[in-house]
Amino acid sequence: MGIEKALRLVKDLPRVALNNIKNSPMDQKKPHNLRRGWGKNKTHGRGHKGQGQRMTLPKLGFETGHKPFYLRVPQEYYYEGHHLKRQYPPLSLLRLQRMIDMGCLDPNEVIDISSICMTGHYHLHVDRRHYGINLTEEGAEKFSTPICIEVQWASEMTIATIERLGGVIMTRFYDPLSLIALQDPETYFKTGKPIPKCKLPPTDAVEYYSDPKFRGYLADPEKIAEERVALSQKYGYDLPDLSESDKLSLLLKRKDPRQIFFGLHPGWIVNLTEKKILKPKAEYLQEYYHS
Amino acid sequence: MLGQTCRKITGSLNVSPRIEFKRYLWRNSICQQKIDITLKYTDEASGSKANKEPTLYEKFLKNPKSVPLITSRKLENCNKYRQPRQAWLETLSTVEDHKLGMLDLHPDIFAVHPRLDILYHNLRWQEFYKKIDYNWTPSRGDLDVSGGKQMPQKGTGRARNRNRSSIMFRTGAKPLGPKGPRALFYMLPKQYRVQGLCTALSFKYAQNNLHIVDSLEIPTDDPEYIQDLIDTRFWGFSALFVDDTDYMPENITYALAEFPSYNILPVYGLNVRDMLKHETLILTLAAVEKIEQKLLFHSSRNKRSSKFSMDTRYDQY
Repeated sequence: MGIEKALRLVKDLPRVALNNIKNSPMDQKKPHNLRRGWGKNKTHGRGHKGQGQRMTLPKLGFETGHKPFYLRVPQEYYYEGHHLKRQYPPLSLLRLQRMIDMGCLDPNEVIDISSICMTGHYHLHVDRRHYGINLTEEGAEKFSTPICIEVQWASEMTIATIERLGGVIMTRFYDPLSLIALQDPETYFKTGKPIPKCKLPPTDAVEYYSDPKFRGYLADPEKIAEERVALSQKYGYDLPDLSESDKLSLLLKRKDPRQIFFGLHPGWIVNLTEKKILKPKAEYLQEYYHS
Repeated sequence: MLGQTCRKITGSLNVSPRIEFKRYLWRNSICQQKIDITLKYTDEASGSKANKEPTLYEKFLKNPKSVPLITSRKLENCNKYRQPRQAWLETLSTVEDHKLGMLDLHPDIFAVHPRLDILYHNLRWQEFYKKIDYNWTPSRGDLDVSGGKQMPQKGTGRARNRNRSSIMFRTGAKPLGPKGPRALFYMLPKQYRVQGLCTALSFKYAQNNLHIVDSLEIPTDDPEYIQDLIDTRFWGFSALFVDDTDYMPENITYALAEFPSYNILPVYGLNVRDMLKHETLILTLAAVEKIEQKLLFHSSRNKRSSKFSMDTRYDQY
């Protein structure tokens, strides 16, 4: 119960004085059971003779001499904490190209994590510590569409393949609550919860997402431009001038670091049946969602 | 000759560092300073009365409504997610309840979680740390009994036995009984004590039993004045007045001496038992400042940051 609620309750209750103060029941210790009650005479619940009656039972885990289970099995530190680490299930460029060719993804729109999940060919399970998409290099030679894509993890080679064709790749972090909304927006909007505010990455991920080499969303845009040039020189391709392309408005589309969906702000509630959007009016809510 | 030696001895005694330190403590103590200040003002007053500015109290006596002050206190390290509590600033200079202004009170002291078990622990500690258990029962060795065997080993139909001090005998010793004066002294951890004071103050504030007053000065030392004041304001059967120093104004000390249920206390004597025993708690503004400063200091202090030294302790006298 909150402190404010408790203090409001206390206002109407009788005056706290020396005669109405008690200790909390959790603090009271149970007395040692002497086993003198009805039916507990003679052997006092201990049986007849032997170690049980004479208080000489062996220690817990003892197995009559041979090596016990808890000492037989050694500790394995290699997998320590593996179930808690962030996972980025892979999506290859080959599959991505196939999805575009089959018509599941539209290259004339920004390819987001939600659009990839809604194709049905990629599954994300947030409860298994999946934190997003890892775009792998397999199929780099066959990839041939300029796209604007937003993923959570990308290697140098994938960035190079996409930029060589005149596309744009960004790496962006989403926290698990935002991912629940992103992987299936329809079911999320049906719950009636407001769109969450995306949180900043944890301390061990901040370095990656503020690095221009991985096109992080927290990195300096001027440095990203420099890195594009450097990458093109490294891999030996001519960097296409994006200002001349048709899709310039598309390629320049960016999300705010706190924003999850394009065109929708955090704090809004989307009503699909009545086709309405509800926005918060209260000052404290606006302050929270704008911070 | 004898007088000279006496003077030498007393001289050497007066020079000893322990006594010098005690004198230094007394001179620098706030009590002494307050006495000096009052003496200084009385000298000044007797000198020139015309140039003196009328004090707040005198202004208030002339016209209570001419002193509207809203004192907005600056709170130290206030949590931005918690609102400070507000309380009226009242006076004891009139029987009727006139408000002089409104104060902000720190939420970490006056709006703490109302935990009854912390209060319980404090009350128990206050009761038990002074206790000495004087119960003593003789054990086998303490009984004044002959060591001989009571009856032969065999032959009588009775159980075998030795001397009369045995626990199995009706007149024998009590095994493992209470032994001697036993002190039940223990120290409650500091945080419990600090939080105990904070919860008691929070309860008093939440249940409208806390009143803040500019000072404990009253116009007369007539006990009826104080009785009327407390009755008109419905402060109840018992009241605790808390000032920041142990040097109180003259009138109130004489007035309250008549009543056993109305008590005055300096800040260093504030404790949970007294706060709960008395129905209302009345703090002066200076006392509130001192309480807040001390409790905030100690609630955030830990063993690493605290190091005993006489330089830091002398001002607590």
